[in-house]
Amino acid sequence: MPDSDLASLLADYFPSAFPPAAVTAAEVNGPAPGAWDAAEELGLTLVGVGEDHGGSGGDLLDLLEVLLASGEWAVPLPLAETGLAAWLLAAVGAEIPRGPLTVIPATAGLVLSGDRLTGDAGRVPWCMGAARVAAALTDDAGQHRVVSIDPADLLIRPGSDLAGMPNDHVTVSADRVDSWPGVDPGQLFLRGALYRAAQIAGAINGAFSLTCQYVAQREQFGRPIGRFQAVQAHVVELAEAAAITTLAAARAARAAVTGPAAFEILAAKSVAARHAALAVRAAHQAHGAIGMTREYRLQQLTRRLNCWRDDFGTEQSLSLRLGTALAGSAGLMAAATSAPSTVGA
Amino acid sequence: MRLAATELSPSEENLRREVREFLATRLPPGTYRLGLGMSGEIDRQFSRDLGTQGWLGMTLPPEYGGGGRTAVERLVVVEELLSAGAPVGWHWVADRQSGPGIARFGTDAQKRFFLPRIASGELSFAIGMSEPDSGSDLASLRTRAVRTEDGWRVNGTKIWTSGAAEATHLLALFRTSDDRHGGLTQFIVDTTLDGIGVSRIPFIDGTGHFCEVSFEGVLIGDDMRLGEVGAGWGQNTAELALERGGVERWISLAPVLEHWAASISATAPRWELADLGSVAARCWAFHGLSLSIARMVDQGASPTVEAALAKEMATRFEQECVEIVRRHYGRTPDLDSPDAHESLLARAILVGPSWTIRGGTTEILRSIIAKELSRGA
Repeated sequence: MPDSDLASLLADYFPSAFPPAAVTAAEVNGPAPGAWDAAEELGLTLVGVGEDHGGSGGDLLDLLEVLLASGEWAVPLPLAETGLAAWLLAAVGAEIPRGPLTVIPATAGLVLSGDRLTGDAGRVPWCMGAARVAAALTDDAGQHRVVSIDPADLLIRPGSDLAGMPNDHVTVSADRVDSWPGVDPGQLFLRGALYRAAQIAGAINGAFSLTCQYVAQREQFGRPIGRFQAVQAHVVELAEAAAITTLAAARAARAAVTGPAAFEILAAKSVAARHAALAVRAAHQAHGAIGMTREYRLQQLTRRLNCWRDDFGTEQSLSLRLGTALAGSAGLMAAATSAPSTVGA
Repeated sequence: MRLAATELSPSEENLRREVREFLATRLPPGTYRLGLGMSGEIDRQFSRDLGTQGWLGMTLPPEYGGGGRTAVERLVVVEELLSAGAPVGWHWVADRQSGPGIARFGTDAQKRFFLPRIASGELSFAIGMSEPDSGSDLASLRTRAVRTEDGWRVNGTKIWTSGAAEATHLLALFRTSDDRHGGLTQFIVDTTLDGIGVSRIPFIDGTGHFCEVSFEGVLIGDDMRLGEVGAGWGQNTAELALERGGVERWISLAPVLEHWAASISATAPRWELADLGSVAARCWAFHGLSLSIARMVDQGASPTVEAALAKEMATRFEQECVEIVRRHYGRTPDLDSPDAHESLLARAILVGPSWTIRGGTTEILRSIIAKELSRGA
């Protein structure tokens, strides 16, 4: 269970600093000046990064709480992206600068040859404005390397995701990039999947709470719509999605504290993606027309769920990996019921 | 509602290994008829052997012959038994439900008599709740127990009672007054008493475990009343709540799933591999859900909403598993196939709809959960 000071800080700070209007403003006008600095000042941007690396300390389970809460309140800051970059840089002993950071999720279009890094980085979340961009890739000699890229070496064409948050088109042209040996790119992928699973769980929790409030207040046919069994079924589905996804993310995070946790993370993200889809549908159906408007908060959660569920692996692609690892083995139940799982995936 | 993440401790994992090793020698593959989870076959000797191992009545108090162990330890044993499709039919109800009910609400004499015999696998219980006109609306039941000088005289009919034809006892709910909820009382009923008639109701898959039990002037001693007169509704609700969060709600198809996973290769079509991975991911997630709920029980909590929520979700998953496996089977499986897994899949196709009905229908569970959620909001 999380540090209770951190939990209460998160429960107070995020909803007060990022009310729905602030989330909308960030979408329309770009990230609010000062919002990042304030979160950094509170030590919320580098939770889970050791103090010796310039972080706030705490462990992965503390970071899980930050990501859950940031998902619940649709916090318009690159907390997961910064957490991923910081984890990568800390893993190789590189300097972690202040300011928002991000990672390049897909590096297939990049070529690292000696100090020279060039190519198409594809879509990079929150790239514009990042103090540093990190990536894990395999260089032209076949070695795993972590790079820390100066944004001046990037050509950034702004773009946005379905939630209206930055998701830029990026190409790299760096003659001299800082790089270090180590970290399998697959490890970054797993971390990314874990962090997104936590954000999904948070956003489902947010959608569940909002839906509970709405069906208790909204009256039709002379009574609150939450009294109708057909509407209750949607609320129950949201409660279930919230419970199973939150637990899956927490169990995967615990497994990742002590081991590679590939099976657990892939399973958790697959389950999270599946329930993100169910939760979006149930929450919208329970809300009716109001939920379809930009004026109402639900869309801030459901649009994020619609992005996050496909980041770092879709439900299908993650399930395919798990299934491929399990095929031909008499160990389905053992894999599903042992901790750590008997399957590495 | 937030469930705490928990995993098995090393000693709990050791128990799992112990059960697996026992089953490998006691139930070698191919030597027993595979069952669908808690609807496993009836094998008295197997149940007695489990009792000898200390794996029945695990959570019952040691002073009454129980194991004095935790709900999590029981979960580990049950998970292994049901994964193997083991013949758990003889002891299932007594071990899961009747034993804990008697331990909680029984007199000292009842506990001294019944609990050691449940823990040894000697007794088999069935549940006498539903009636022809009382299903989900259980409080409307009409089978009446009338007080006499010698005890209680019972007249009426119980229906949809699994395993009654073989069971030594029923844990039954009877009407003792006209008060809708306050007029219900639980009794432990010896199935050999005069006036009890058990007839089998052929089940959809052709099996005969489903029964109707008639009571014609059956005399039951007051010493077989479980709990106070009129306390039956509350006791029964507690009993139902206990039984909902278990692994049996997501694991029914395990032998078929295991066989499917073993029989496909890594070069199988991508959609089949993705389906397998999705099933594995969700088994992992449901295992976690059951485990967290059992841990809460061990910590003295009463996670009734969590258990209802787990059952509502998990039983729909079980049904989806049947759809997924048959999607890749390529033809309709035969019920009488010599291939045990094919036959089991065929049975699952037929009986699968019962999974979201027994132990509280999906619709009833949703109402219970919604009521609790709106209370918390």
